[in-house]
Amino acid sequence: MKITDACVFPFPAGDSSVRRFALEARSLGYDSIVAVDITAGTISGVDIIPGMILGGIPAKDVQGRAKKNRGTGTVLSVQVGDNGFNRAVAGTSGVHILRGIATADKLAFDHVAAKIAADNSTALDIDLSPLIFGRGHLRQKAIHRYLDLMVLHRRFEFPLTISSSACSVLGLRAVREAAGLCSLFGMDESDVQEGFAGVSRVIGSNKETVRVV
Amino acid sequence: MSIRPPTLREKKRYVLARIDPAGITPDPKDLYYAVYEAVVSLFGDMAAAAMQPSVLAVEKGCVILRCRRGAEREFAIALSTLSGCRETPLALRVLAVSGTIESLRERIAELASRKDPEGGPGDVVLPPAEGLCEPSQYRFGSEPVDIIVWDGRKVDALEKGFKNARRLFLTTEDLEIIHATTISDGL
Repeated sequence: MKITDACVFPFPAGDSSVRRFALEARSLGYDSIVAVDITAGTISGVDIIPGMILGGIPAKDVQGRAKKNRGTGTVLSVQVGDNGFNRAVAGTSGVHILRGIATADKLAFDHVAAKIAADNSTALDIDLSPLIFGRGHLRQKAIHRYLDLMVLHRRFEFPLTISSSACSVLGLRAVREAAGLCSLFGMDESDVQEGFAGVSRVIGSNKETVRVV
Repeated sequence: MSIRPPTLREKKRYVLARIDPAGITPDPKDLYYAVYEAVVSLFGDMAAAAMQPSVLAVEKGCVILRCRRGAEREFAIALSTLSGCRETPLALRVLAVSGTIESLRERIAELASRKDPEGGPGDVVLPPAEGLCEPSQYRFGSEPVDIIVWDGRKVDALEKGFKNARRLFLTTEDLEIIHATTISDGL
């Protein structure tokens, strides 16, 4: 089972090169990282999975981009929006991860969207950066959203991913530290393991859907 | 007030953490305030009072912290939410938890003596000594950078320029030597 950080932002978006990210990720216990706008490869024994994030565009455009992205090996993440958008995107083939649930509206991700995500193997991302860098209301809101998400996850069993969304190697956290942070909203060890393996699960599930009958 | 007998004393646990990025030595008092703020903001005053966090020493790129026995897990979680100390971005990586400071000091000595096994030069010519370097003739991408810390394969550099003097976290493979391939016209 691979341990993957589902989103990091290397240089030029961040201040750390992808090689440095790989070096630090290995020392912190990761096998692979999803790096935004970076080509695939293996550096210092860590698999670099290219990632793409879409946000602020209509669901129809997301579907078009997902179609273009199919078969490229890029992990496509979409920033959550309102409830209708999330339902549409969660059911879009080729969308791997919905992210940004920590800052979304309370009703943005409901049981219907959760069912659609589970049916389509679309993962929900647990972003640790609001817990690490946020204080006060921002962090409380994130913990509340994640608590709610875990209730839906236990009921519908959609995939989860865990990301640091780090722009710097200082934003990365060790696997054990991430597990500790996830325990704040009720994730146990098996949930955390599942979350770290979530990226390989969603990539694998999309491969299976392409079948010639 | 007389010292309590050992059986009546509160049991403590000592936490060893590495300070990232390398080369930064924060003031212990400032670090204590940062740690205390992290604990209080995450768990509240009640838990902070029960946890009794404190910073004992900052030495050789590591910090020794203390908390009450039984609270070390929550303390480690709170430490992972620490992102800076007095406007200086840093992270504490918990390395070990022990019942004595002495064993952590031994661990620090062991860490200091151990070198990065992969700290080879690779394709670029490296300066012979690790640690602080003089501003040099390296560049990252198209921009020249000043090397500030060189630790094995890890290189921390400052962008040159008036506006963007941010710290970059690179590796030796990311760097190029300026004018390394220049050939004079006579050849």
